[in-house]
Amino acid sequence: MLIHVQPGDELPIYRQIVRQVLDAIAGGRLAPGERMPSHRELAAQLVIAPLTVKKAYDELERDGLIETQRGRGTFVSERAAPPADPAENRERLRDAAERLLSQAALCCVPLGDVMNLLEEIEREKRP
Amino acid sequence: MSALRFEDVHRAYRRGQDVLAGVSFAVEPGQVVGLIGENGAGKTTLIRIAMGMLVAQRGQVRVFGLDPRERPVEVKRRIGYVAEDQILPPYLTVGEVIALHRSLFPTWDDRSARVLAERFQVDPAVKLRTLSRGQARRVALLCAVAHRPELLLLDEPASGLDPAARREFLETSIELLNEAGTTILFSSHYMTDVERMADRIVMLHGGRVLIDEGLDELREGFALALVPRTPGVSREQLLALPGCVGVRERADALHAIFHLDPRRAEEQLARDLAGSGAQCRSIALEDMFVELVGGQP
Repeated sequence: MLIHVQPGDELPIYRQIVRQVLDAIAGGRLAPGERMPSHRELAAQLVIAPLTVKKAYDELERDGLIETQRGRGTFVSERAAPPADPAENRERLRDAAERLLSQAALCCVPLGDVMNLLEEIEREKRP
Repeated sequence: MSALRFEDVHRAYRRGQDVLAGVSFAVEPGQVVGLIGENGAGKTTLIRIAMGMLVAQRGQVRVFGLDPRERPVEVKRRIGYVAEDQILPPYLTVGEVIALHRSLFPTWDDRSARVLAERFQVDPAVKLRTLSRGQARRVALLCAVAHRPELLLLDEPASGLDPAARREFLETSIELLNEAGTTILFSSHYMTDVERMADRIVMLHGGRVLIDEGLDELREGFALALVPRTPGVSREQLLALPGCVGVRERADALHAIFHLDPRRAEEQLARDLAGSGAQCRSIALEDMFVELVGGQP
């Protein structure tokens, strides 16, 4: 799994990790059952404090996306289900949606075309 | 017991001009604390007091519960220290200075020294005065960590290094954290390095602790409000709002820092300063530094 963090970004580093793991699971780049790097491995790879990795993993684990098996390591959950609260799920999208709409406005793409584009991408992703 | 504890530490170099005017905080075992603040804020003074190189004129410092002035050898054996302006004896070779440290520290780990020497590619036969700044800092780091210190005190360890050498320094520190969970207090002006390493931030300003927060709590619990300059809005008015910890005046807007998450700060401004057009957002550590320092009276 390729994670890249950018200190100095608007998001704290642990949130960047959480977001990228979520994206990877949602995009199928991380499959259920797949092994995650250990705290130490990821800390060394990204050159960040191991505690920061732990914090990101704790949050992912709380949301049921990964699970730690004692002595074996951390794995993507078999049921990497999104959090149960639909309102919260929707709210998670708000930032991304706002950015997309700003971009669309800058490129003078009308809303209808944006919707078409979304559907087109969805079709490509899930044949 | 805390690894390091400052209690009401005062220090002046000239009478009546306190560089440190009552600094108190403790570093718990395993914590990595980033010490930040303007030039002259007292970061180096504080670290030197912890090392026992300077004495606090009032208040006290304890390292593992010990007074570094009373028990200098015991304390120093458990500390690793790297400073920006550290002077290694220029007439010694790299090998000799390593041997010197090895003889001073009973816990010296030959294997770890060898691994670092190999990675840093420092030639033991070379005299220290011929080393570049980056190479000298590598030797200093090797000498500071090869005895497996419980506490690492780093005073601007990366200043003056090129980006590759700085990254290498960070990588070595992260490795140390990974392997030994070493407690670290480090000062730096590189806020991106601080974001990579620290889990807690202590910011000195005006001789005192201005901020003492977890890094992520600081990042997510503080908001910057950009308030357009209008006749109805003043600096004093913003400072009087709950949670406002600094206001910096710019040509087109007032920059107010709130100890609130961005959403709550925006709600508060919408309520108390309706129609001001203020926008709130979270900011990275570098901007936080600039706004906090610039926003003090």
